[in-house]
Amino acid sequence: MDSEMKVIVSMIGLDGHTTGGEVVSMILRDAGIEVVYLGVNQTPEMIVRAALQEDVDAIGISSHASNYTLIEELVERLRDNGMDDVPVICGGNVPHHTGARLLSRGVAAVVLPGSSSEEIVATVRRLARKPAAGLQAGGA
Amino acid sequence: MSIDVPATPAALPAKTNPEKRDRPVAAASGFPPQTDYGYVLKPVYGPQDVAGMDYQRDLGDPGQYPYTRGYHATGYRSRMWTQRMTAGLGSSSDANRVLKQYHEMGQRGGICVISDRVFSSCIDPDHPMGRKEAGILGWPGCSLLEFEELMQDIPLTGQSITLLGSCAPSSLRLAYVVALAEKRGIDPREVHGGVIESPFENYFGQTDPQPFDLNLKLCLDCWEYVARRGLRMRCNVNSQHFQESGGNGAQALALQLAMLEELFGRLIRERELEFDDVANIPYELLSIGTRFFEEIAKMRALRRMYARMARDVFHAKKEKSLHLLTATHTSGRTMTYQQPLNNVVRCAIQTLAAAVGGCTAIDNATLDNAHSEPSAFAARMSLNTQHIVAHETGAADVVDPLAGSYYVEALTNQIEEQAYGILAEIDKLGGMIAALEAGYIQQMLSSEAQLKFQRVDRKERLVVGVNHLVIPPEEEEFELPIQELHADDSESIALRMQAWKKTRDQEAVRSQLARLHADARKGDRFNLMPAIVEAVKAYATAGEVFGVIRLARGLSYDPFDMVQCPFELH
Repeated sequence: MDSEMKVIVSMIGLDGHTTGGEVVSMILRDAGIEVVYLGVNQTPEMIVRAALQEDVDAIGISSHASNYTLIEELVERLRDNGMDDVPVICGGNVPHHTGARLLSRGVAAVVLPGSSSEEIVATVRRLARKPAAGLQAGGA
Repeated sequence: MSIDVPATPAALPAKTNPEKRDRPVAAASGFPPQTDYGYVLKPVYGPQDVAGMDYQRDLGDPGQYPYTRGYHATGYRSRMWTQRMTAGLGSSSDANRVLKQYHEMGQRGGICVISDRVFSSCIDPDHPMGRKEAGILGWPGCSLLEFEELMQDIPLTGQSITLLGSCAPSSLRLAYVVALAEKRGIDPREVHGGVIESPFENYFGQTDPQPFDLNLKLCLDCWEYVARRGLRMRCNVNSQHFQESGGNGAQALALQLAMLEELFGRLIRERELEFDDVANIPYELLSIGTRFFEEIAKMRALRRMYARMARDVFHAKKEKSLHLLTATHTSGRTMTYQQPLNNVVRCAIQTLAAAVGGCTAIDNATLDNAHSEPSAFAARMSLNTQHIVAHETGAADVVDPLAGSYYVEALTNQIEEQAYGILAEIDKLGGMIAALEAGYIQQMLSSEAQLKFQRVDRKERLVVGVNHLVIPPEEEEFELPIQELHADDSESIALRMQAWKKTRDQEAVRSQLARLHADARKGDRFNLMPAIVEAVKAYATAGEVFGVIRLARGLSYDPFDMVQCPFELH
C-alpha cells in the first residue's frame, strides 16, 4: 500500500470506548493514511512497542474520560526510546485545562469533540513525523 | 512487571460505504427530513397513515395487551417514575456522599451507581493497571468493604438499588446485595433493583476482559440464582449502550428483542426454568435522544413488540410476564462539548420524551457530560429538570397523551416494522450470539456510527454549537465547573486496598476461593453464585474471585497477565 504515512490509533489503559477511535480510523484511511488500529487495553509500553515495530509517523490516542496520566506516560516512554519525533495526538472529550496540561507535557495536539474530518486529517498531516531531511529530494 | 504480549493490531471493521445501504437516498435538493433510522418523513400525517389500525389489537387501553399505551391504567398517578442520577467517581465514601447529596437534591425512588473501570475490568485497585484508573468514571466496588462504604447510612429497602457496570462483575454486585442484606438482618428478597448486566454489553462499550462464554455463563448463573431464590434483583439487558455507541432506534429495538430471546431461550433450555420464572428479571435501559416523537414511538413500539414476543414465542402464562420494565437514560451522546448550557435544553426535551413515552425510571445525562462526570451543579440541574417535567408541565397527569396522533402512531408502526426486519435478519443468522460471531452486529453498529458522524460532518444534521451557530472557544461565556479525579486519588484508593487486603482473615478468604475454584471446574451449568456469595462474605475481591474462576477454566489468573494468584487453592 502506497500510503503517505502510517499512524497508530489506540485506546489506552482500561478505556473501553471505541467508537471515536474507529470513526477516526475510517476518516484517516479514507484520506489515504495507513492506520494500525490497536484497540483497547493497551499500556504505554505496548503502544511504544507497536510504534517501533510498525515504524509509524504519529500516534493517535482516543480517550473518553481519564486522569490522562497514561497519555503522559506514553509521551515519556517515547522520549526514553528516542522516539520523540513521533507525535502523540490525543482525541476526545478532554476538559480545557487538562488539554493545556497535556500540551505542556509534550502531547502534540488535543483534538476536541465536534472536529470535522478535514480538521482531523489536517492535524495528523501537519504533525506527523516527516522523513529525515537528508533523505528528502533536494534536501532543505 | 513484564508485558510480553506483543501489541497486535486489533480487528477494525472492514471499510464500508454506509451510503450504499437499503435506505432512502438523499434527494438532490438536500437532505430530506428523516428519522434517525432513515425513514423519510412526510410533511404531514393523516388518517391514511394509520389505515387498518385496530385500537384493541394494536394499542389497547393503558394496562391492556399489547400495552402500547403503557402497563398501568393510571400511569404516573399510581406511581411517579423513579427520579435518579447516576453516581460514582472517586472512592466509595465519595460516592456515598454524592448519593446523600442527590437525595437532598430530589432524587426519589432509587439510587443508581456505576462501576469504575477497574471494577468493570474485574481487577483490583492495587493491580498495576488498576492503580492508574481506580475511581475513574465510577465507583471502585471491588469488594464487599467498598459496597458497605457506598451504602453507609443508606437503606437497602424502600428504594430500588441499581448498580451498573460490565457483565462479569454482576455476580459480585448480586452477592454484595445478598451479603449486606443478611448483615443488616434484612431478608434479601425484600431488596429490589438491578445489579446484573448482560454479556452483550461487551460489544457496545461497556467492556470487561472476560471471554464471552464465561460472561454468558455467569449471567445465566445470576438469573437462575435470582429466580430460584425469589430475589427481586433484575438484569439490565439494554439497548442503551448500543445506541449511545452510534446505533439507531430501529436497530436498538431489534437488538433488544434478539438479546432477550437468546437469554430466555438458554435459561429455558439449559437451566430448566419456565419463561414465567424469569420473565420479570430483565429490564430495559433505553437511550432517549432529542428526536422527540421518534423516541416516544420507540418506547411505545418496544412495549408492543415485547408483549407479542412474550405471548407468541414464549407462551407467557402470567400477565406480568408480558411487561418489560423500562428505565430510561437521556442521551449522554447528544450532550455537546461546545456551549454546554445548551445541553440543559436538550436534557429537558429528552426528559419530556421519556415521561410522555412512559417509563419506570429516568436517569439523566448532565450538561457537563462531554467534559467530565457530573458536578453537583450539573446533577442538580438534571434532577430539577425531572421535577419540572413531573410537576410543572402536566406531562405526568395523563397516560400516553400522544396516542391517536396520526404521526406518532405512524412512527410507532414504522419503527416496529423496521425493527422486525432487522430482527428477522438476526434470527436468520441463528440469533444474537450467532450474529455477533458472524460480525453482523458489529458491522451494523460501525457503519451506523460512521454514517452519524458523516451526517454531522456534511451538515445534513445540524447540531447547535457544533456545526451550526458555532462560536469561537474564547466567546464561551460560561465556565463549566469540572469534576475531576487526579492520579493521586486513584493511587490512594489503590494503597488503601493493598493495606486492607492484609487485614482480612487470610484462611477464610483462601478456603472460600478454593471452594469457588473447585465449583468452577464442575461445568458451565453448575451455578457459581452460592460459592461467590460465600467468598464475598469473606471479603474476597473482584480480582481474586474472577482470578480463580479463570484458573479453573484454564485461563491466566489475571486477564492482563501481570499478577499471580496469591493463594494456594488445593
